[in-house]
Amino acid sequence: MIRKFVGAVAAALALMAGLWLMIAPFALGTQPENADWTDPTTSEFFTGLGVAVVGLIGVAAFAAAIHEELVVRGLVAVRQKPAEPEPEPVAAAPQASSAELASLLAPLVEALREDLNTAGRGGGEHRQNGKTALVGVEDNR
Amino acid sequence: MKAKLGVSALILLFLAGVWLIAAPFAVGYQPRGAVYADATVNDLWVGGALAGLSFVALVIYAADALRELAGRGKHVADS
Repeated sequence: MIRKFVGAVAAALALMAGLWLMIAPFALGTQPENADWTDPTTSEFFTGLGVAVVGLIGVAAFAAAIHEELVVRGLVAVRQKPAEPEPEPVAAAPQASSAELASLLAPLVEALREDLNTAGRGGGEHRQNGKTALVGVEDNR
Repeated sequence: MKAKLGVSALILLFLAGVWLIAAPFAVGYQPRGAVYADATVNDLWVGGALAGLSFVALVIYAADALRELAGRGKHVADS
């Protein structure tokens, strides 16, 4: 564990050294402004770029190794992705058969028929609940 | 496996440090016998530090790995 930590710290310092190498010619003034890059600038810049990239890879590798060891020792719990709940099967809408529909509507039909019969027995009254028949009112106008 | 990648990176960093020390003379921007230029001084310091740091890290890594190996060997001998 310690050795991996030491490796990660060394790689991180190397990463910073690489970044410094990339900017050093401009920071120290060894690269003239508005001029092509000199040999020292080219050498330092690309060496610094390589050092920074390798340092970054080293940091990532040692950090991953430390994490792996912590998981093995049980000191770090690996987060499990919550399993996506399976969509519940949608219950199929009950298909009412024509027989069921008929039995459902039967009381309604019966009530309508009874209402019609009652209205027929009432003579010329077109409206049973009103005080005066609407037809008669219209005739009187 | 990941640690091996890290060790490989440390070895490459050590080589880069050595290259930085040699670069002013290898590329030719440091004339022989002349006072060291600013770029040369920078390269020598950064290269030396990089090589030294990587070397120390590699030595610590190897020493710790050996210590672990020795500990395992002791357990096997005890049992």
